[in-house]
Amino acid sequence: MSENNRVIVASGLQKQVIAPAANNASEILSILTEINLQVAAGVSVAITGASGSGKSTLLGLLAGLDVPTAGSLQLFGQELTQLSEDQRAALRLGKVGFVFQSFHLLEHLTAVENVLLPLELAQVKGDLKQRALTALDQVGLAARAQQFVTKLSGGEQQRVALARAFVTQPELLFADEPTGNLDRHTGQEVAALLFRLQHDYQTTLILVTHDESLAAQCNHWYRLADGRLHRQESV
Amino acid sequence: MASYWQQWVRRWRLSEMRLLFLALWISALAVAAVGFFTDRVESAMERQASQVLGGDLVLSSSRPLPDEYRQLATRLGAKMAEVVSFRSMLSVGETAQLVQVKAVSTNYPLIGELQAANNLTAAGVKAQLPASGELGAEPRLFHALPAPVGATVKLGRSEFILSSVVTKDPAQGVNFFQLAPQVMMPLADLPATGLLSPASRAEFSLLFTGSERVIRELKASLQAKLAPTERVRTLQEGAQNVQQALQRAGRFLGLAALLSVVLAGAAIVLTAASLVRHETAAVAVLKAFGLARRRILVDYLGNLWFLALVAGILGALVGFFLQTLLAHWLVQVVAIELPPASWTSAWVSIVTALVMVTGFALPALLRLLDTSPMQILQGSLQAPTALVGVFMLSILPAIFLLMWIQARELSLTLWVFLGLLVAVVLFWWLAKLSLNGMARLSTRQGWQGLALLRHGRRSLLLVVVFAMGLFTLLLLTALRTDLIGRWQASVPADAPNYFLINIQATDQANLENFLKQQNIQANLYPMIRGRLVEINGQPVTADDYPKPEAKRMLEREFNLSSFAVFPESNTLLAGQWFDANTQGFSIEKGIGETLGFNLGDRLSFDIAGQRFTETITSVREVRWDSMQPNFFVVAAPGSLLDKPYTLITSLHLAPNQPELIPTMIRQFPSITAIDTSAVLGQVRSLVEQATLAVQGVFAFTLVTGLLVLWSALQAQKPERQREIAVLKSLGANSRSLRRRIWLEFLWLGGLAGGLAGLLTLLAANLLGFYLFDLGLSLNPWLVILGALAGAGLVATAAWLNLRSLLQVVPMVLLKT
Repeated sequence: MSENNRVIVASGLQKQVIAPAANNASEILSILTEINLQVAAGVSVAITGASGSGKSTLLGLLAGLDVPTAGSLQLFGQELTQLSEDQRAALRLGKVGFVFQSFHLLEHLTAVENVLLPLELAQVKGDLKQRALTALDQVGLAARAQQFVTKLSGGEQQRVALARAFVTQPELLFADEPTGNLDRHTGQEVAALLFRLQHDYQTTLILVTHDESLAAQCNHWYRLADGRLHRQESV
Repeated sequence: MASYWQQWVRRWRLSEMRLLFLALWISALAVAAVGFFTDRVESAMERQASQVLGGDLVLSSSRPLPDEYRQLATRLGAKMAEVVSFRSMLSVGETAQLVQVKAVSTNYPLIGELQAANNLTAAGVKAQLPASGELGAEPRLFHALPAPVGATVKLGRSEFILSSVVTKDPAQGVNFFQLAPQVMMPLADLPATGLLSPASRAEFSLLFTGSERVIRELKASLQAKLAPTERVRTLQEGAQNVQQALQRAGRFLGLAALLSVVLAGAAIVLTAASLVRHETAAVAVLKAFGLARRRILVDYLGNLWFLALVAGILGALVGFFLQTLLAHWLVQVVAIELPPASWTSAWVSIVTALVMVTGFALPALLRLLDTSPMQILQGSLQAPTALVGVFMLSILPAIFLLMWIQARELSLTLWVFLGLLVAVVLFWWLAKLSLNGMARLSTRQGWQGLALLRHGRRSLLLVVVFAMGLFTLLLLTALRTDLIGRWQASVPADAPNYFLINIQATDQANLENFLKQQNIQANLYPMIRGRLVEINGQPVTADDYPKPEAKRMLEREFNLSSFAVFPESNTLLAGQWFDANTQGFSIEKGIGETLGFNLGDRLSFDIAGQRFTETITSVREVRWDSMQPNFFVVAAPGSLLDKPYTLITSLHLAPNQPELIPTMIRQFPSITAIDTSAVLGQVRSLVEQATLAVQGVFAFTLVTGLLVLWSALQAQKPERQREIAVLKSLGANSRSLRRRIWLEFLWLGGLAGGLAGLLTLLAANLLGFYLFDLGLSLNPWLVILGALAGAGLVATAAWLNLRSLLQVVPMVLLKT
């Protein structure tokens, strides 16, 4: 892995939170103790672990949604721990996509309007609507573009979320349990779509899941336990 | 009970439950504050009007009143004063003057205070009744007689000392045509004068005050015993000029109060919908565990009623406190004493909270109970959608009931209710049209700048609520400005304060000249006395009419006039005013209604033994509070001038012209000058009170509107928080998020305000025309002002409410 094609470099990351305890007291809870991770451009990385092991916390830190308590973290070569929230957001704009377990589509918008959102935020020029429709077409939902997302099924909503994530052709995509809220069959379909798009656009993928079959499809697989990452050799 | 309480506490943790409480509390607070305040101002106004009448109830007769009535009043606990009034000659040495004698009992006046001065130039101060052997007299008696204060005068067989100049007799009434100056004497001195014999023409009156219940009972008992010569007057039948102002103010206050209830209702609907969304899962789980629908309903309903009860009581308490502050502040501004508030408003506010929670939340609850427990297993929870039918059956009657409680007038309630329904439907339809149109446009190439406005679509309900709120406020502002302007214009600072009557036709030119020299503007109107004898050729007598009012009109002579210029204080309702060639009568609306004639009917008057017949060619509305000479019947210009007539006029005299009237009377001895400044003062003080009430209520409604706006925003907070987190995760910075909030709400507020302005324009004209007797006016500024005020108000409130959401950490998206 050469220096300049690393998208993420994390070393010695720690995350502690203050949790309320009995008798109005509070205690410091250590979620991540020592995280070291380097991710090269274009690869897919899976992170698995038991419930409460800190998978989502780690994903949030890597995406710059939150800041670590200690350690260093570089995203696209920039040290995240030195940046303000707005500067971290600017770093993500147009370059980072997200797929969430609960989809997090905006309910008052139609499918195509949801997909338009990141393009408009990044102030991309050109025929945005056409781009959004193309993205929806890629996930097989062109026909439902004008539907409000509340009218769509869970699988369809997650496909809209995939279209929203890939419409800016991001360099990096974070997926948080993307199949967690879907039935097995639909989950498999959505996963297949995710990997196809990741492959087509050469997007770096960080995937948090507890579905081992899904993790096994990634280039690299880490298990999170006791606040540390353990490399899992693919089966 | 303990478990019930625990459940209540657990449910209290729901933000919707707290929001519902807030909305209920705000409505109860608004109702209580407006209620307490209007109650106080209304009773201040009634007291003022009672003062003009002389009491809450007045019984008068042309014969002495039997003791039975006095005993009845004493038994019921009413306070009582007695007045005997008649005309007589008063003499000083060789000079005699016709006076109106008013003999009063020791506890006169029952309401207000008597004011008197020691000489003509001093200002009046609070004074006692004239002592035995003394007389108090109106200033004009001193102008008419060569007698100073302290002179001895003769009245009947007794001698009196003219001890004071009476500057204010609170119960003087509004009789401009009382020719003779009034003197006041103790009733006990009356028999000794020997002036009253069984054949004398006099008016004997008993004035009563007491609680509303006492007056009601007294009136009923008296009416059962009345002899034909006796009649009872209460406030409602009292002086006409006072009543018009009182009616308008009362209507406005009722309207303002009920609109504030509707505003608060909007908040409850929003919150109840949000509560149902939240509780769907809980109900599905409870049902899956085996709880019966009935049990769940009783459980939720009990919780909500308790919530409403607490909100109602707290609202009443805080409302009382707020009202005290407001009244305290306003009283300092206009210097008027307000009587204490009654507790009725506290009950009304508690009932309001209970009705609101039942009417607005019950249908949502019933729908909630239909949640299938299967939804839990299927994993997809769908909040039940409100049905149109549910709205019809529950929310609409609840709103109607609340309005009725507030307005206490069925027809007003009905009209405003229908108006509001139309407003909601119109707002909904127009807002939907423009929000969807804008969203569709925003996806077209070149129109992407509008993309932000797409988010406004979720806020259809918000726009309707904002628009209703702004509509209420604009409507109140428009009507308030109109009303207050009209009232103040009706008693301007230079309103006439003197009536000159009995001006001889031969003096007309000289008097006009005299007034011109003094720079005084006055129109002289001829006044002809005539008795109505026929309508459409059929003879009429008092016996043909059952109504006492109609009987009285036919028993006395009318004052007719004839002139060419349509008076400013009148409004033409039907027909045509006279031009150079027309003949006919122009009648006042009320007299036509009372006596049953209208446009096209022929009236015959007996004027000094001659018959004068004409057709009614126009109907006018007369503002009796204008202080101008007004006439029930006016004939075409010049048509009556061959009959015997005198002239009448009104004029304004500045306080620095005290010599003018005596000089004028010396030059034109036949003229009688009547000082109406006391009456004018009473009307002006009424207007001040009405203005005070309207401003107070306006302030409350403004606050309610803002609070409702706040709770409406609160209901959208969770969704907006998630949205901001999503946008942040996609790379939006705080500057662009701030911009999004401002732009979205500037647009929403502007849209709501523009729509509200448009509807206000329509409604203010309709309401002003039908309810408040105001003219039509089209003011495009209402729409512009509405849009600007809406955008500013809504965007600022939204920013203050939502800015804390910008702190949301996008990590929350990963935890759900």
